[in-house]
Amino acid sequence: MSSYIALFGNPNTGKTSLFNSLTGSYEYVGNWSGVTVEKKVGILRQHGVPIVDLPGIYSLQPLSRDEGVATDFLLTEPCSAIVNIVDASQLRRNLHLTVQLLEFGKPLIVALNMVDVAEKRGVKVDAEKLSRCIGAPVVPVIARTGKGTKELVRAILSLSEQSGEREHVAIDYGQDVEAAVQKISEQLPDDLLASKRWLALQFLEGNERIHAYLQTYMDIAPLIAVRDEAQQALGRPLAEHIYDARDKWIVHAIETSTVIFQQKPLTLTEKIDAVVTNKYLGLPIFLAFMYIMFMLTFDWLGSPLADLLDQFFSGPLTEWLSKLLTLVGASPFIQALVLDGIVSGVGGVLVFVPQIFILFFFISLLEDSGYMARVAMVMDRFMEAIGLNGKAFIPMIIGFGCNVPGVMAARTIEQPKERLLTILLLPFMSCSARLPVYALFAGTFFAKNQAIVVFSLYVLGIVVALGLAKLFSSTLLKNESSIFVIELPPYRMPQALTLWRSTWDKGKGFVRKAGTFIFGGSVAIWLLTYVGPKGIGVSMDDSFLAVIGGVLAPILAPLGFGTWQAGASLITGFLAKEVVVSTMNIIYHAKDMDLLQGAITQHFTPLSALSFMVFVLLYIPCLATVATIRKEAGSRKWTLISIGCALTIAYTISFLIYEGGKLFGY
Amino acid sequence: MVLTDLRQGQKAVITNLAITNEVVKQRLLHMGMHEGEKVCVKCVMPFGGPVMVEVDGQYICLRRKEAACIGVR
Repeated sequence: MSSYIALFGNPNTGKTSLFNSLTGSYEYVGNWSGVTVEKKVGILRQHGVPIVDLPGIYSLQPLSRDEGVATDFLLTEPCSAIVNIVDASQLRRNLHLTVQLLEFGKPLIVALNMVDVAEKRGVKVDAEKLSRCIGAPVVPVIARTGKGTKELVRAILSLSEQSGEREHVAIDYGQDVEAAVQKISEQLPDDLLASKRWLALQFLEGNERIHAYLQTYMDIAPLIAVRDEAQQALGRPLAEHIYDARDKWIVHAIETSTVIFQQKPLTLTEKIDAVVTNKYLGLPIFLAFMYIMFMLTFDWLGSPLADLLDQFFSGPLTEWLSKLLTLVGASPFIQALVLDGIVSGVGGVLVFVPQIFILFFFISLLEDSGYMARVAMVMDRFMEAIGLNGKAFIPMIIGFGCNVPGVMAARTIEQPKERLLTILLLPFMSCSARLPVYALFAGTFFAKNQAIVVFSLYVLGIVVALGLAKLFSSTLLKNESSIFVIELPPYRMPQALTLWRSTWDKGKGFVRKAGTFIFGGSVAIWLLTYVGPKGIGVSMDDSFLAVIGGVLAPILAPLGFGTWQAGASLITGFLAKEVVVSTMNIIYHAKDMDLLQGAITQHFTPLSALSFMVFVLLYIPCLATVATIRKEAGSRKWTLISIGCALTIAYTISFLIYEGGKLFGY
Repeated sequence: MVLTDLRQGQKAVITNLAITNEVVKQRLLHMGMHEGEKVCVKCVMPFGGPVMVEVDGQYICLRRKEAACIGVR
């Protein structure tokens, strides 16, 4: 079994940036705590050593699900060395984790990151001296630019070559604790992966994960007795005592290794915060940011670009393809499949790539600048009112891009109830896959007010989600208090390269989906329109797709779109929401957006189009999201509730809009 | 005196952390809010919203309910 080099560190200290420059991969980075929620494995460039990136932690005592991943790693996976990334401008807090990792007993290297930031703030850290103090190599790096990575790799390699046990740095915790550590160590079985001293200390500190772990190996009643005895002898909580002993050691290490030459506050961050987290301006500024984001995506920049792309697909591309197909002598069946099935289906979705990339760019900007955590703070009071906390707003914003990473991001929420609630309301966040549907229908029926209509749909999604959260938190899930503590990182100038990678990383999923899922779906849908109960090459209205969609049509009639076409596209939309548009392109034989828009004006009125968009927004999480909810919530019951709620709410609201609108004479 | 008694920009020293919710207390301890540390109130959100404080160069945002349990001098 190969063993890993593990990257540990506090949240938002640049672990993933370092991981990316060590491995040459492009994992997702951002300027807020909790970007990485799952461990990620890569290979050290040119050396073939596996290296694993872990979620950020303050201590080895996990308080949330993502932090549990890091502690579990130490307990269950073999690792040959630990790289502990430490923020030089926050040494004291960071070294508390370092101490615990040193106690773990594996070879450790400290990667001293953000030395540049620390120096700007008037703190100079002497790596040599620090190394001597803590008894482990210290390598200064700047993870964002990759500076110092070569030296770090050299240190890692020379460390893993050294065999044998490393000399431990042992903090003396005083007679009472040391005696308790001794007693516990004697009782621990020999075949555990982790060092006994470390396990004993973590247990004494009250680490619940360690408690549960030891319980699976032995009867821990005697250990608890030892712990209680030690606590009594000390006359104060053990955790506090252990913390203080470590803190004393750390303060000494910092005093001998760092020079504070100037006390400089974070002036830029303070200046920005004075505006964006201003008592009165905070919320309006955030809303203005969202508004600009939507206008650029749908109106000012996105639509013209989408039109250009559409012209290319329907014009030159279709022409070339049909010439090519004739040239190679393809049968009429193949020609129809390619031109009416694939080009319509896949092209119909791909034209929205510019708009989706603009949206993703803004989400990346939010993540990379440091504003994300501020949004959580600004929104907390409001979220508290509905039984959630501001942190839940971060997965919601990510959910605007795609619901799947949004559901994953909910891992950083400490309270299980709040986490579950956040997962349940995420499907109502209008993801980018729903955007093509809005762009098509709003562009057809509400061309002048497109951005406003689409913006209202997003708001509707949020309102429904929050209403549901309120309902759940005051009924089914009311026995747990809501909590909120968040770290606010200093602002930093987003780098063009990071922004582009981050945007591309999110966007490529959409493009890839078009090449696989939607490609396959388009072929299948086209075939379903081509064959029917009466044979092959039937007219569309006699096809299998019409039969399938027709089952739903009467049920959908009160919502204003009781056609088999609408029914069929909604069914296929469960695979991925953008397939709704692919299906319509194929069904209505439309080669470009203009033709499709013409076709749908015959089947929809502005009112039923609105009702349809609302239904698509709310009706069901897509297949991938359902699978993620099932995995993250760990419960079939809640997954089914999530689907059931969505269907009921979608039907009710669309019904109200359509029937209500008719009453008002629309 | 407690943390919520401080006005924006005021500084004080933490004297005790009497927070009942263990998770919140642990989080704040991990982030560096300890007895004896200097704390400065950076901003207070409206309608009873959270407060932002600075401790040892670190910006932390916590709810007013918990801030009211932190004794300062």
